[in-house]
Amino acid sequence: MEAGGKGVLKMVEQREVKVRVKRFDTEKGNWWAEYKLVVDWYTPMTEVLRRIKVEIDPTLSYRAACHMGVCGSCSMKINGKPRLACKTRAIELLNQTGDEEIVVEPMDYFPTVKDLVVDMSDFYSRMFKVKPRLHPAREVMEGKAEHRLKPEDQRTLWKFGQCIWCGLCVSACPAIEDQDFLGPAAQAKGFRFLADPRDTLTEERAKLLIDSAWRCTYCYQCFEVCPRDIEPVEAVKKTRAMSSLYKGRSEVVRVGVRHSEAVAESIASTGKIMEALVYTKGYGASQAVKDMIFLLASGRGKYLLVKETSVKNIEEVKKIVGGAT
Amino acid sequence: MKVAYYPGCATHGFARDIDVATKKVAEVLGLELVEVEDWNCCGGGFLDEKDEVAFVSINLRNLSTVERMGMKKMVTPCSVCLHSARKSEVVYKEDKYLRREVDSRLRGTQVSYKGEATAEHLVWVLLRDVGLERLKAQVKKPLKGLRVGAYYGCQMLRPQKYLGFEEPSRPKSMEQLIAVTGATPVTFSQATSCCGFPLLGSNEYMGLKLAYKVLEGAKHAGADLMAHPCSLCHLQLDMTQEKVRYTFKLQWRLPALYIAQLIGLSFGFSPDELQVPKGVTEVLESKGLA
Repeated sequence: MEAGGKGVLKMVEQREVKVRVKRFDTEKGNWWAEYKLVVDWYTPMTEVLRRIKVEIDPTLSYRAACHMGVCGSCSMKINGKPRLACKTRAIELLNQTGDEEIVVEPMDYFPTVKDLVVDMSDFYSRMFKVKPRLHPAREVMEGKAEHRLKPEDQRTLWKFGQCIWCGLCVSACPAIEDQDFLGPAAQAKGFRFLADPRDTLTEERAKLLIDSAWRCTYCYQCFEVCPRDIEPVEAVKKTRAMSSLYKGRSEVVRVGVRHSEAVAESIASTGKIMEALVYTKGYGASQAVKDMIFLLASGRGKYLLVKETSVKNIEEVKKIVGGAT
Repeated sequence: MKVAYYPGCATHGFARDIDVATKKVAEVLGLELVEVEDWNCCGGGFLDEKDEVAFVSINLRNLSTVERMGMKKMVTPCSVCLHSARKSEVVYKEDKYLRREVDSRLRGTQVSYKGEATAEHLVWVLLRDVGLERLKAQVKKPLKGLRVGAYYGCQMLRPQKYLGFEEPSRPKSMEQLIAVTGATPVTFSQATSCCGFPLLGSNEYMGLKLAYKVLEGAKHAGADLMAHPCSLCHLQLDMTQEKVRYTFKLQWRLPALYIAQLIGLSFGFSPDELQVPKGVTEVLESKGLA
């Protein structure tokens, strides 16, 4: 293809690429297979895999359907990062790494069925746990009332409703091995209904989602890998802010709320986090005394005596942070 | 070169040794650190959950002070402080509704952020502004024979949208800095995994388990020590390591130190001058490096 004027496709540079695929089947276990093919500027990784399967090795298994970032089926790990194969162009990867090799593996966390195909049952059960549909009021169902949603509420909810169930965030999440943590996708989806004024399952959703929210470690993996820019960790933060809706309060919620309040109070009153005070307030005096053993064992006891000064213009900080406590 | 210096609460608290080492290394390199006048906390990674407007506003308070001091770059040794400031910069620019609320919260204060000052990590400034050559020129005592795990954690890397210095799935800044000291960088598969510190405030056991996995990963890859870029990772991987050992009944230790402490050692400072964690000193002694 030639380069031309406006509206003409970009000049097509062709490059040979070596694709290393982590293969698996139940009989042979894992092995690495290597394939060589020529790609151009426009070749997405789904096309790379399709050509390997059609032209080189029909035994390779992978999933892909829409080829346009909508169906969420081509999730895999490419050059170590969880991504949608259809939204990843081969040449871009080569330019990023500076070498001619691309490494393709199945997603982490999910059990591999064959090659790049993983069993997503765990993901779906997490999503179904949060009842991912609106449960409206009886009057609305009977046609006696209307659904109303303010534009500002829609703005809050919108992005958290954009999930395509690809599972990339769950595959990257370090907190997921905690069985009581729902995982990033379900937290985002759940928040989308918890914070929806038209929904009626508030109490049930609050209990499930708020307990789970305090099990997130704020590592931002989900934010980084999400192909729809949903930022699930932000849904977790917003869910934590709704903790007062969960009356029973499990242990993680009790401790978490106390700790976050201690942080906010310290900032509002001194402009800084006074560690020893936040620790004592957050965990209680008896825990703080127990943990003193570890503090002293690490040789960091000397820093207990360091007295940090408050912000001088504390009135300004109070004015800014006042609303947070 | 003169830059604004934002230590943050942990760096002035239980991770005070990071403040000491950062200043010593900067001085040798001719990097003048001017502390941000009357700085406040960045929110510690938690304030945004309670009140995002307050969170962004207090971060802009620091950045606007930097602008008033006539500088554009605010360097911090702490990844969480970095993350908070950069998140605030980005969302203030991108989200017009949030910006409106922040502006209204800041009305009547001296805070007026023009969007010129930006936060950067000490690691970025060392690599981008100082450069490997100038670092190398100051190495008086190469840390030969020392295998150092290159740990990044989360907040210096993710999300790229806020941070953007390097690709989060293939970072190399820590390896580069470790190599400059003459030590051997050890890349391990948990290098960008979470240290678990943010979970200590709600779900402690999992927080300790995440720390254990990181430490175990570096140990398994053959590291003698681990170098990291964050004041809160410092608390987790040094101070809390004793609790991790107790909880998981570990017979081994993997001492961790801040990257500026490692660089300082190669510049010829003694472990005491840099206040390096005591476990680190023991390893250095066993290698004949202290």
